[in-house]
Amino acid sequence: MKLAVDNSRRTSEQPYYMDRIHRLKRRVISTRPEMDLENARILTRGFKQALSEPLVIQKAKAFRLQCQEKSIRIWDDELIVGCSGSKIRGGILCADTCWSVLNDELDTISERLYDPFYLAPADRDIFEREIKPFWHGKSNYEEWLAQIPEDTKALRDTGVVYINRKAVRGFGETTAGYEWMIREGIEGIEEKIRDRRLRLDLTRPGDYEKDYYLEALLLVAEGIKILASRYAREARRMAAVETDPGRRKELLEISEVCARVPAKPATSFREALQALYFYQTCVFMEQNAASYNPGRMDQYLWPYLQNDLDRGRLTRDQAQELLNCLWVKFSEPCLFQDEVTAEFAAGYPMFQNVCVGGVDRAGRDAVNDLSYMIVQATMDVQLYQPSLSVRYSLAKNPNKFLRKIVDLIALGTGFPAFHNDDIGIRMLMNKGIPLKEAFDWNPCGCVETNLEGRLRHYTALADINLGSVIEFTLLNGINRKSGLRVSLQTGDPREFDSFEQFLEALKKHYRYITRAVVKGSHVIDEVCLNRPSPALSLTFKECIEKAKDYAWGGAKYNTGNGIILIGVADLINSVAAVKHIVYDKKQATMAELVQALDDDFEGHEELLKLCQNAPKYGNDDPQVDRLVGDLFTFFADEIEQYESKFGTMTPGILPVSGNTPFGLEVGALPSGRRAWRPLADGVSPSGGTDKHGPGAVLKSVAQICHDRFVQGTLLNLKVEPEMLRDENGIQQLMALLKSMCSLGVYHVQFNVINQEKLIAAQKNPDAHRGLLVRVAGYTAYFTELGKDVQDEIIGRTVMRDISTG
Amino acid sequence: MHDGAGLRTVVFLKGCPLNCSWCSTPEGQRSSIEIGFIKEKCDECGICIYTCPEGCFSIAEDGAFAFDLKKCTHCQECIESCLKGAVQSYGRIMTDEQVIEQISRDEIFYFFSGGGVTISGGECLTQPDFVSSILKECRTRGINTTMETSLFAPWDSVAKVLPYLESLYVDIKHSDSAAHKNLTGVGIELIWENLRRIDELDLRLPIYIRVPLIPGVNDSDTNLQTILAMASKLKKAKSIELLPYHRLGVSTYDFLGKHYSLKNIQTPSADYLRERGTFLRKQKSRLPVKIAA
Repeated sequence: MKLAVDNSRRTSEQPYYMDRIHRLKRRVISTRPEMDLENARILTRGFKQALSEPLVIQKAKAFRLQCQEKSIRIWDDELIVGCSGSKIRGGILCADTCWSVLNDELDTISERLYDPFYLAPADRDIFEREIKPFWHGKSNYEEWLAQIPEDTKALRDTGVVYINRKAVRGFGETTAGYEWMIREGIEGIEEKIRDRRLRLDLTRPGDYEKDYYLEALLLVAEGIKILASRYAREARRMAAVETDPGRRKELLEISEVCARVPAKPATSFREALQALYFYQTCVFMEQNAASYNPGRMDQYLWPYLQNDLDRGRLTRDQAQELLNCLWVKFSEPCLFQDEVTAEFAAGYPMFQNVCVGGVDRAGRDAVNDLSYMIVQATMDVQLYQPSLSVRYSLAKNPNKFLRKIVDLIALGTGFPAFHNDDIGIRMLMNKGIPLKEAFDWNPCGCVETNLEGRLRHYTALADINLGSVIEFTLLNGINRKSGLRVSLQTGDPREFDSFEQFLEALKKHYRYITRAVVKGSHVIDEVCLNRPSPALSLTFKECIEKAKDYAWGGAKYNTGNGIILIGVADLINSVAAVKHIVYDKKQATMAELVQALDDDFEGHEELLKLCQNAPKYGNDDPQVDRLVGDLFTFFADEIEQYESKFGTMTPGILPVSGNTPFGLEVGALPSGRRAWRPLADGVSPSGGTDKHGPGAVLKSVAQICHDRFVQGTLLNLKVEPEMLRDENGIQQLMALLKSMCSLGVYHVQFNVINQEKLIAAQKNPDAHRGLLVRVAGYTAYFTELGKDVQDEIIGRTVMRDISTG
Repeated sequence: MHDGAGLRTVVFLKGCPLNCSWCSTPEGQRSSIEIGFIKEKCDECGICIYTCPEGCFSIAEDGAFAFDLKKCTHCQECIESCLKGAVQSYGRIMTDEQVIEQISRDEIFYFFSGGGVTISGGECLTQPDFVSSILKECRTRGINTTMETSLFAPWDSVAKVLPYLESLYVDIKHSDSAAHKNLTGVGIELIWENLRRIDELDLRLPIYIRVPLIPGVNDSDTNLQTILAMASKLKKAKSIELLPYHRLGVSTYDFLGKHYSLKNIQTPSADYLRERGTFLRKQKSRLPVKIAA
């Protein structure tokens, strides 16, 4: 059977199964996110039952108990089932990691500004009576708070770095070995574990630890099988009482599927999807965290689909319906995090990054019919998850595929994140992964890079506020907002004789902050050794072979954690303005500039204008772009000179939504940006300062050596829908994307929404509940974002036309 | 995109021998650099009165802010000093190397889109050596070249640029020479003559004929029929396109202190454009009829 893959008109024609999808979707959109403490309650009991056992056994037994006791719910219309908790849109508290986060927000979480979760009285009761008393003093978060280095703490408290993220949730930022798990089944993996265990000699030092670790893996494997079998039973029970014959048949099919997978190897496309989702809920159940990435689904699921289609066991429409059902499931869970972290990544973002396209393991075109169907699923469902990423290989992927991507961009949902495949491959290689395996990379979370079942690191451990770096340089190490000196004394800027002296001071501050972050990262690494994750490790082959948990470095490849830079354009524009105004053109003295910044430009309108008119990043202007290459090579060099126990530290430039809260900590800057406003996102120009179209933006952005920022670089372009309304506009965007790849830019994503609509949605959120926008590396409901994040999105430059001139 | 295929860089040359009342780029008419004053942006802070060495800016006795273009020497001081961006410069002096450098900056975008450079104006054939030098170098670099022109220029000028062009866009405003002269200040003979001579050359150069459609001025059946008939005789002509009159350049007239005489003409409706297109198509010419969006 041949697939007709060009179904770009489907969203308007509405194939038969879309009724079901719309019903499923409505349920997700209309459900308010709620705290779900069932998971934490069972976990706590599990730990109590295994108190004197090794930590990883406690964790594994608690996980198994969760699988045995958690609520099993199958909702109307579902074909793919599973849920990490007991509620549709539940936020899960990872008690062993960070119980106290909720403790601090008991009274406010239901109504907080960013990502509120309704906390039901019953759940609050569970928390106060069962969870809090047991975990007090025992969580990773408390360990971190007790051990954070003094200088790191001072920088954190003044908004110069954000580094709590990994202590307030689980690992995430990884791609488990889905392909292997689906192919072998849990039973196949259990066999490997038993074989490995047989090779141990308990008289040999170290083998006892390995033995109980492998036992822990067997416990979680058993748990996963139990969980699936409970779904099979529940579906059968529901079928027995179901009066609608159509639904009864569906429930019996669900029961059959769950009785087989993930215990056994999947034998059909549907079983593969169900196995994947069960495992997805399990790793999330084990540790609440963002960015458990399903990765290259079009590659590892295609053999199942192809087989079904060839044998006539499934029609194309049935396959699309199943895929769409899974898409709705991905949108159900909500990431729970503390209010500050939520501010840095607003919109309950789960970052389950699915990827299509690119090259295969032989370096050939990897696009297949499923690649198109996955893009279609995102076009059909239009929910905020999964995060859809495209690996686009300029040399190998066909134009037809690029066209399909642009059709999706034109829908204006913010998807997909468009990645330049060659640069992604090079980033992996720069992480120390050989080309042969780097071919298989996948985007992770926001725009970071990953390798399924083989790679361990935090891709975004901490963020550095580059606005603060400028501020320190001009205030001799003082943080403007607090008045505290939290960085080095580099001298009074009014006494700098040359631009080079200014630049040297800037580098000293950056170096100081980087050192503090690296120290903090080492502490987090240490704390996280006490955060084993056997359910996740289960599908990392080398974790089994080495009998070593993911948390302990058991994966095949380990690298140092990711350090993320925020405020790129603010820094570049500020450096360029100082050079231009003070040193090159001598339009004002450093003293005048410092005074104007002190006064937030009040009464310095002329100098503000000079600052605003100074050369700006994003305009293909060599005066400013010349600075970019040198500075960012220095930034990357600085981060990479540090090692952790897991490998070389890794740089990246992605803001999630951290550019907004960071901006609130930074006073006026020489770029002409006024005090306490959001910083620029990712590698994008500051809103409104790029005046020569997307071509010029790409040329400027290409000055950054993207390959070296191995945790990814993020570029946002906002376009008005009119731009993509005709064939000419679509063709131009295709050409622009190809040009971008030639330039060596790593990533771009588009918001195709007009400003009027955004402003209307801000004024009247109820009428615009379903409005999706691209925040940074992810898509969220516009009306669920905080007002300043909304303002920031409204303020981004709108490209009126693609013109290079 | 009315300037050729793909993503393009358009080079506008200042100076034009024609004087069309509907001109949408009045900044292209004079060959010198011009200063424009945008009244709406001005908050009458008066800083320009002090910075302008020629005394172009003043406050009259009744308190009204005034701007006198005649004294301006284009020193640009006022532009630098204005906090509101109310003073703006139109045009700058560039060498052919500088223009080529600017064009080359975008060459990567031309490659994937089938774009390139478009020389436009004003009337670019007023500077034939300059244009020819730019086009020649673009061809050497593999950059696609095209030109928008009225073809109102001596044959020598035309001949200089032809070898380096890959296509040509020619605007015809009216078929009747007297009417043409009335509308633009010059007759149509030289334009047709140039077109005819180009057509006879052994040269591969597709020509696209375009007619700016000004309601009540040149949109009559007879005029359109005649232009179409004459264009159809040209072997190199590939299509005829109607460009609807628009008013996007009207505010520039104010900025430059120029008078816009067509205050009462409305922009043609989509229906009307379609009707004119259909009319032309019924003439059974071999040329495809297009209507610009």
